[in-house]
Amino acid sequence: MTAAPPIVRAGLRGAALASGLRDLLGSEKVLWAREDLLLYEYDGAVDIATPDAVVLPNETADVAKLARFCAEHAVPLVPRGAGTGLSGGAIPVEGGVVISFARMSRILELDVANLRAVVQPGLVNLHLSTAAAPHGLYFVPDPSSQKACTLGGNVAENSGGPHTLAYGVTTNHVTGLELVLSDGSIVRLGGKALEYDGYDLVGTFVGSEGTLGIITEITVKLTPLPEDKRTLMAAFPTMDDASNTVSAIIGAGIVPSAMEMMDQLSTQAVEASVGAGYPLDAGGILLVEVDGVRDGLDDLLERIEVICRAAHAQELRVATTALERDKLWAGRKGAFAAMGRLASDYYVQDGVIPRTKLPQVLRHVIDVGERYGLRIANVFHAGDGNLHPLIMFDGSKGPAEVERVKEAGREILEMCIQVGGSITGEHGVGMEKTCYMPLQYSPVDMAVMHRVKDAFDPLGLANPGKIFPTPGRCKEFSLNAAR
Amino acid sequence: MPRVERPATPEACADALRACAEDRRSVRVRGGGTKDHLGTRRETDVMLETAGLDGIIDHVPADLTVTVRAGMSFAALRDALAKHGQFLPLDPPHVARGATVGGIIATNSNGFGRYRYGSVRDLLLGVRVALPDGTIARAGGRVVKNVAGYDLNKLFIGSFGTLGVVVEATFKILPVPPVAKAASATFTTPGDAFGAADALVRTSLRPTAIVVERTEDRRWRLAIAAAGEAAPVDRAMAELGRLAAARGASTEAIGDPEAALGPLREIVDAATGGAVVRAALPLSAQTAFAEAAVRVDRGARIVADAASGIAHVHLRDEAGVVAAADGLLAKARVLGGSARVERTAVAGLDPFGGPEPAGAFLMRRLKEAFDPNGILEPARSALG
Repeated sequence: MTAAPPIVRAGLRGAALASGLRDLLGSEKVLWAREDLLLYEYDGAVDIATPDAVVLPNETADVAKLARFCAEHAVPLVPRGAGTGLSGGAIPVEGGVVISFARMSRILELDVANLRAVVQPGLVNLHLSTAAAPHGLYFVPDPSSQKACTLGGNVAENSGGPHTLAYGVTTNHVTGLELVLSDGSIVRLGGKALEYDGYDLVGTFVGSEGTLGIITEITVKLTPLPEDKRTLMAAFPTMDDASNTVSAIIGAGIVPSAMEMMDQLSTQAVEASVGAGYPLDAGGILLVEVDGVRDGLDDLLERIEVICRAAHAQELRVATTALERDKLWAGRKGAFAAMGRLASDYYVQDGVIPRTKLPQVLRHVIDVGERYGLRIANVFHAGDGNLHPLIMFDGSKGPAEVERVKEAGREILEMCIQVGGSITGEHGVGMEKTCYMPLQYSPVDMAVMHRVKDAFDPLGLANPGKIFPTPGRCKEFSLNAAR
Repeated sequence: MPRVERPATPEACADALRACAEDRRSVRVRGGGTKDHLGTRRETDVMLETAGLDGIIDHVPADLTVTVRAGMSFAALRDALAKHGQFLPLDPPHVARGATVGGIIATNSNGFGRYRYGSVRDLLLGVRVALPDGTIARAGGRVVKNVAGYDLNKLFIGSFGTLGVVVEATFKILPVPPVAKAASATFTTPGDAFGAADALVRTSLRPTAIVVERTEDRRWRLAIAAAGEAAPVDRAMAELGRLAAARGASTEAIGDPEAALGPLREIVDAATGGAVVRAALPLSAQTAFAEAAVRVDRGARIVADAASGIAHVHLRDEAGVVAAADGLLAKARVLGGSARVERTAVAGLDPFGGPEPAGAFLMRRLKEAFDPNGILEPARSALG
């Protein structure tokens, strides 16, 4: 863990801020004691910063009041869902108030007739699918953290998950938003229909990581549950074989609902902790799931098996019951947690590459690991070309070790960009990757993004220090930053 | 007559925009010229044609992505991809008349396949846009997942050229499915037709088209198409038969899906008189909207993408068309949707009539930031 550089510009801090907020909202909605604040200084990534105060709103009006107050006193606003984010999005790097949505976590409307749900931002992702299941519906995006992460966080980060290959990421499933802007105004955008007049501000907002405003209500699509599914585990001697299989399956016109890959190091960690039944001697493992109507599903599976065999699969196992399927998935979903068996700390990277570059880039990842003397496991959304190298390290060695780990991560991302990819596929830029933005975008590109920032948040108080490179913080790159 | 500019490169396009901005000359952007009916017709100083920005820049079949210049016609792109057994799964109107990739993005022009494959906003991975300040900005990327920075693709889709000119675009593409079939069933009430459509939407059959049409003999015909492997496609056809039988209707197979769906897709081009109202509605509001359309014009022709809640109503009774259109626009809003007049030859009809869109103040700030001199596409969009 590393403390963020102290670039705090909150205009009101300490006791004055706490008493102002208590007067404004009532003390039951404000946390200000040091021991309480410490619980909000970290998320799922590696950076930390302590908030000046935490506010737990009950309703939109509380958020609007808070925003007006903060606008008046130049206090940054940092929304937070469950704190599972992997890029430091919820870290108050410039000080200010963290808004926790723990008390705004209800489903406001399950509109089965229109295949929509209207929810509060603090709702846990999985709770929505659970509530919709009796109606034969579910919410598609399923980040690995879906038992904890919230819809507000999903929208802010434009989260993905294993099952977004065929059905899209969060932005493809959001049709309406209610926002509180940093000046305290409340805006409702979109609704239950697919289109509304004017610019698509809903689409523009999704994935903006809290930097354009605060989400207070979300309208999402619900999707009919597939009638049936088939899940296949295929084990290969090498990662190259597994990678080539991914391209061959997609190239054959098959779009599985999920296609996940794991290397040997991951498999071994998973087997030690979950016991999913993955073969320990395989160089690479693919989990492939197809779903839809029952008709033809077995034929489809057979075609996939033929492709796997042609690519040297050493073992194929089809889950025939829900129990077996859950077991195969338990390994994948528990993979990050299982890494705890291999190292005290790990740093998850999140780069995207064209699928056909998988073999080349995975070899580069191995090379980076060898050069840095760091063990790197790969567990990722292969069908999307979305890599998640997990770089293992020992945090007790101090900040220099963390910097070395980040350097290794940067080398991996540089390769992703070199082959035409992206520095983040689903975890966001947050504060972690602000300095890498210039790898992917020109100063003009970022200046144009900043026009959008300025239109929504002219005060610059909405989650400052995220997405855009801050010159003082990005030493090693020459930056004409965003403006 | 406006002066015609036809830049041959993105840079020339950006330069032309900057020159117009400096001289405060108003600009209309034109691709294939197939959507001149959209918005208010107001002559501009300059007609900026994108025809010079043509061709595929990059196509890696195995990655299932393609990058093209925005002036390329959709038909040419379709033909080029077909040579590799692939397709861009958009089925917008006006393709035969020359609709371009850029125009399709700028107007968010979609077809019936959006329920199965997604719309422009789901398939567009990245764009390059020439801006009135003479710069060219890139948004998104060339890979299928990317959350680095803001998703400005969404801002430009459906912005009617009011913020900048799309000069290049990257899309997700797919292999052409092996089997495609279509069938239809005709009902006496809109409730039955939309009801059967809704039942299909709630399965995992995922047809490529679920279209309700009000026929000349004032009945309600549900046409569906499905594509993919033979077994699920056959199951979709069987399911339509079952749903139709339950409502006392019988089904007819359609030999050539495209021949049947094509005319439905082109309801706007076919409407030479009266007015066409286009509504985007919550799914369950479609029956009520169709009934309202018939109330305001007994001869109304209606084509609804029932899987996505996008309805086109051709009001043919010229005498009452202004009141009928205004009434329908209001009805769509009351039902929780949105609507605009897509095409009319009748004076006095405001294409976007009614209140400003939600968040209009934000949209104005964006317009001001991208096009401070207000040169691009005056009066073309809902913001006036």
